[in-house]
Amino acid sequence: MINDFYELDPYELNSADKEEMLRKELIELTSLHKDKCKEYADFLEAVGYDAGNVKGVADIPFFPVRMFKEYDLKSIGDDEVFKTMTSSGTTGQKVSKIFLDKETAMIQQKVMVKILSSYWGKKRLPMLVIDTPEVVRNREMFTARGAAIIGLQVVSRDTVYASNDDMTLNFDVLDDFLSKYGDGRFIIFGFTFLVWEHFYKELLKADKKYDMSEAFLMTGGGWKKLESEAVSRQLFKEKLKSVCNIGHFLDHYGMVEQTGCIYAECECGNLHASIYSDVITRRYEDFSPCDIGEKGIIQVVSALPHSYPGHSLLTEDEGIILGEDDCPCGRKGKYIQIIGRLKSAELRGCSDTYADKYGKN
Amino acid sequence: MIPMLINTEKINFLVGDKDILNLIQDNPALPMFSDKMLKFLEDLSRKLMDDKRSRGYQDVMSYAYWIRKSSLERIKDSYDMELSRLGRGVSFHISPSNVPINFAVSMTSALLAGNSVVIRVSDKDFEQVSIVCDAINDLLSGEYEDIKGYFCIVRYPHDDEITSQISAICDIRIIWGGDETIRRIRSASIPPRAIEMTFADRHSIALIDSDYYLTQDKREVAKGFFTDTYYTDQNACSSPRLVVWFGSKIDEAKASFWNELLSVVKEKYTMEPVVAVDKYAAFCELAMSKKGAKIKSYENYIMRVALDELTEDVLDYKHGGGYFFEYNANALEEVLPVLNKRCQTISVLGIDKDKVRDFVVENGVRGVDRVVDLGQTMALEFVWDGYNMIENMTRIVYA
Repeated sequence: MINDFYELDPYELNSADKEEMLRKELIELTSLHKDKCKEYADFLEAVGYDAGNVKGVADIPFFPVRMFKEYDLKSIGDDEVFKTMTSSGTTGQKVSKIFLDKETAMIQQKVMVKILSSYWGKKRLPMLVIDTPEVVRNREMFTARGAAIIGLQVVSRDTVYASNDDMTLNFDVLDDFLSKYGDGRFIIFGFTFLVWEHFYKELLKADKKYDMSEAFLMTGGGWKKLESEAVSRQLFKEKLKSVCNIGHFLDHYGMVEQTGCIYAECECGNLHASIYSDVITRRYEDFSPCDIGEKGIIQVVSALPHSYPGHSLLTEDEGIILGEDDCPCGRKGKYIQIIGRLKSAELRGCSDTYADKYGKN
Repeated sequence: MIPMLINTEKINFLVGDKDILNLIQDNPALPMFSDKMLKFLEDLSRKLMDDKRSRGYQDVMSYAYWIRKSSLERIKDSYDMELSRLGRGVSFHISPSNVPINFAVSMTSALLAGNSVVIRVSDKDFEQVSIVCDAINDLLSGEYEDIKGYFCIVRYPHDDEITSQISAICDIRIIWGGDETIRRIRSASIPPRAIEMTFADRHSIALIDSDYYLTQDKREVAKGFFTDTYYTDQNACSSPRLVVWFGSKIDEAKASFWNELLSVVKEKYTMEPVVAVDKYAAFCELAMSKKGAKIKSYENYIMRVALDELTEDVLDYKHGGGYFFEYNANALEEVLPVLNKRCQTISVLGIDKDKVRDFVVENGVRGVDRVVDLGQTMALEFVWDGYNMIENMTRIVYA
């Protein structure tokens, strides 16, 4: 039961104890979704699933995360859908649709609070969002950006949006926020690229010098875009320190398909799996699990998804498990490095000259 | 009437120039198998074989071999030359983005039929395209200067205006698929008298007799099947997607066949990690949409999906990069559901080709344009997708 997890600190279990606890929970979830979601049951049958053969977490079938773009997958009745979350796809791309009932939404929030309090303490902190309030205004359909902010609101207090509708930085709002909260701990949250483009670059131009040494800068959304502009994680941190003396950096990996179970960055710069979830990296040749230090395709498992079959997913990201139970920060469990999205394949064959172009736009 | 000039600003000419393009409709049509064009192709063949760069490309070499003198003579002899046949005029070819040598194959039929050619090649910078265009340019600036006006090979960014303008002056338009490309290009109309050949998305299957297979050189069979499939990432229209097994030793034959193939694949094929995920996702989609599909191997280089029934739509769930459906059959009739319009090539091992052809004809099957030996699906041919390419690009002058 998920309640058993709540009794524990999110990073206190060593690998053997965590493995056993998660394995049991995941077998239960697999059986729940098998009963409640027909498509998922068909999938289990085709891969020849047998609960009796699950010796460890790695034996739970992995479901391609892409399926949430192709099908409406839910293990609840239509009348139980409390909210629907979508991934932020650009126009023309298919988006993931994740259906939540009250229970799963509640679990997600609760776990998020537990995980994050391990980083900035149990007190709810004021939060400055590097985004426009527009992004959460439409409550019907959450995007990943909006969902992340809404998710964080339950662990924070007094959310303030620092950007104007055109994404420029509103200095009046910023100054006001800092004069109120700047002396204590506070959160700054934004997607990596937006923080660079609409926070760092604007502060750089400003005449005023800022000191945000008490701030936890929480970022998400990946590094691909910045790395393509030759901004490494290291450079990002250096520059933000230099422009406003950010005290704590808290990057994270997560996805709308497993909201709540984030992999957050510790003081040593590593992303950690909590007891609620885990990462298995797999070799592309045969999907066998990689060793520590070996690059592979990321599978994520989570004890949270009860309303949709998202408890064991094969992602399209690559990463490395750097170690387990031995990060100098003291947190137990695996810590990982995310490399990014798998390179898309350029296949030969009679494919479309024109359609290719259109598909990418 | 003043002819409209084609907007050539955005056109990059690999062969020809804007004056040639604007005057191309004035060229006299040539007779089918004109000496001039036969000779030109023979010399092109020689040039390609002499070019050191060609050796790295199996496709350039097979093209050069295909247009060598003796090969073309043999083709010519197989035609009925009693009727006077003449090219139709200007042929406009849209070649696919990912099969580099296709443009030359398409060009060859058009030239032998007696037409001028305007060819749009892929934006991708394939060396095979440079090798062939360099050879053509060499010939056209020397001995063949008099037929220079028959050639334009171009690249241009996606541009409906240019496509429309060239379409407006063509007599034949040849669109190498996919379906989306064909739909797009068709929004540009062609003149009332012009004809069009389209090569849509197709797929193919293989039939193997297990008893016969076990008597063969298994390594050779595997190499041939590799060329049929992995050589083009299993994405050519002619690449088998489904293997149907016949005979009494199916299990034994399967084990040996896939094992041999795996060793060839591991030796010669580079699989991108994302392809493993793509294939697995394709399988999951199939499993969630249709009952009765079972995954047979987690060996990601070769993903095998066993089917206990062949339905008309099962090949809609196909995927490239080494993803195979398998089915055990007792009789040819069981294969009928997949022989729909989309089915192009049946390759066979240990099964009589004529028998399969007769079966297709007797059943009035809407697909299946060719039956070839396993390992030969990639052979260059002048009959393609049911068209006799050369004859289709001519007209008959009857007296």
